[in-house]
Amino acid sequence: MIRFENIGLRYGLGPEVLRDVDFHLVPGSFHFLTGPSGAGKTSLLRMLFMSLRPSRGLIHLFGQNCSDLPSSERADLRRRIGIVFQDFRLLDHLTTWENVALPLRVFGESEASYRDDVTDLLKWVGLGARMTAYPEVLSGGEKQRAAIARAVIGKPELLLADEPTGNVDPAMANRLLRLFIELNRLGTSVIIATHDFQLMDQCDAPRLVLHEGHLEIR
Amino acid sequence: MKVTWKFDNLPGRLAERVRTSPWVAVVSGLARRQAGSGTAPIVQPASVAGRALTVVIAIMTFLACLTSGAVYVVNQSANDWFADIASEVTVQVSEGQGSEFEKKVTLVSLFLAKQPGILRVNPLSAEESGKLLEPWLGGSDVLSALPVPRLIAVEIDRSSPPDLNALRESLESNFKGVTLDDHRRWQAELRTVTRSLVLGGIAVLMLVGAATVASIVSATKSAMASNREIIEVLHFVGARERFIAHEFEKHFLNIGIRAGLVGAFGATVVFLLLPLTMRLLSGRGLAAAEFRQFIGSAVLDWPGYLLFGFVVVVVATLCMLTSRFGVYRILKSYD
Ligand SMILES: Nc1ncnc2c1ncn2[C@@H]1O[C@H](COP(=O)(O)OP(=O)(O)OP(=O)(O)O)[C@@H](O)[C@H]1O
Ligand SMILES: [Mg+2]
Repeated sequence: MIRFENIGLRYGLGPEVLRDVDFHLVPGSFHFLTGPSGAGKTSLLRMLFMSLRPSRGLIHLFGQNCSDLPSSERADLRRRIGIVFQDFRLLDHLTTWENVALPLRVFGESEASYRDDVTDLLKWVGLGARMTAYPEVLSGGEKQRAAIARAVIGKPELLLADEPTGNVDPAMANRLLRLFIELNRLGTSVIIATHDFQLMDQCDAPRLVLHEGHLEIR
Repeated sequence: MKVTWKFDNLPGRLAERVRTSPWVAVVSGLARRQAGSGTAPIVQPASVAGRALTVVIAIMTFLACLTSGAVYVVNQSANDWFADIASEVTVQVSEGQGSEFEKKVTLVSLFLAKQPGILRVNPLSAEESGKLLEPWLGGSDVLSALPVPRLIAVEIDRSSPPDLNALRESLESNFKGVTLDDHRRWQAELRTVTRSLVLGGIAVLMLVGAATVASIVSATKSAMASNREIIEVLHFVGARERFIAHEFEKHFLNIGIRAGLVGAFGATVVFLLLPLTMRLLSGRGLAAAEFRQFIGSAVLDWPGYLLFGFVVVVVATLCMLTSRFGVYRILKSYD
């Protein structure tokens, strides 16, 4: 499903952020990605999402070598991946509902086919009353939940979440974690980047630990 | 051996291209605007940069239409005028007294009418000849005391023109004090003047065109910069380049058409009001009449207005293409 071979990453002429990262994740797995701030968690997720090319090494996603794919096929691969950005990236001129529905709209599905799904999901993440609100007026936690809803609405095969519980209280964090676990049970592979140990202790999942550029699985 | 045509299914492919072109989407969208669709457009409809772009496009289209309209009119009226002048010569009868003189004018007119290649002979009466001199000599009291030469306007058949030199010679040998003026020098001068006017107009038109292109491209680019976020998010949720480019093309083509139409409409109003204002400004009298004759066709005809439509299409296309390249350039940075 995911295979990193000797990945190295540096930004420009800076120091190597990641060194000799080598791992293999099977379909349907559930992992936490952790490490101190600045260790390279976001960078690793961006490489998985093909929005960042490694300086060296090979990445295989869904059995394909991503470095030599044409852009249209990379777009197709991205459709199988849901991502929650650390800074949410909601579009300010669209309502919460429209933001969450955006991936399906981009995939060319008709609005009638997904209208109820989007509404149900928003209710599930506790945004039932905020569907017509614009991101500007949402709280940090509400934006986070909208971003998560957008990432999972397309039933991705791989879900990448960057600090998905950074802005919510422990009760909501648990609820969101249960959503991820539920998705995982339905077959989605999940990688959650976090330094929230309380969250990681909630479930018994292997941890990918980044430390000084190296990756270790515990 | 099976022959495969390179242009196999060309009509089908063309139809597909037309069907998916942003022009079709935008124009049909403009047409059924009232219906209004439920969801917001993916590209933010009104941003500050977008409004600035609208203003820039409207103004530049207005200027481009004005310039091209003016060049068109000058060119057109110069052509009309040449045609008029070239089809007329003047015969001047200058020596003679009283009824003798009248008789001479009639004889010359009859002589002219018999010559081949002449359509119409119109001897001007003493009054009419006097009128022409009025602006230079003042009231007709003075005129009646002077031996004013008489003019005969001769319209020649331009499809088989007479040999003007032979005509001049035979006139001069048959009558005393009769001269033929074919306005040749006047025509040549006029032609140089109008030609340089038209050339100057084309030069101005090119400058305005370059300024229009430059300002629309840069305004579109800055409007695109504020859309970077949208492009990024669309890219991340798995949109293909073509999808994103298409959304932006639709949006910017829409802006281009609307703002362009506003500018072209402004220019149309100016050209519709032009003859009226000319009349008001130039007052009455002979100068006004001359002036009116010169700008007689300052009224823009329909091919002239078609030119405005062309300007709008060019402007809107420019806007659309710039946005497309903007999308591709931004997407390149993620690869
Ligand atoms: N675009 C960039 N250009 C240059 N350096 C960058 C860039 N993005 C990240 N870095 C550097 O790479 C290193 C890893 O950053 P990254 O964002 O991946 O860390 P992180 O583990 O996600 O941190 P946090 O937990 O604070 O989110 C940091 O030292 C950061 O300064
Ligand atoms: Mg990070």
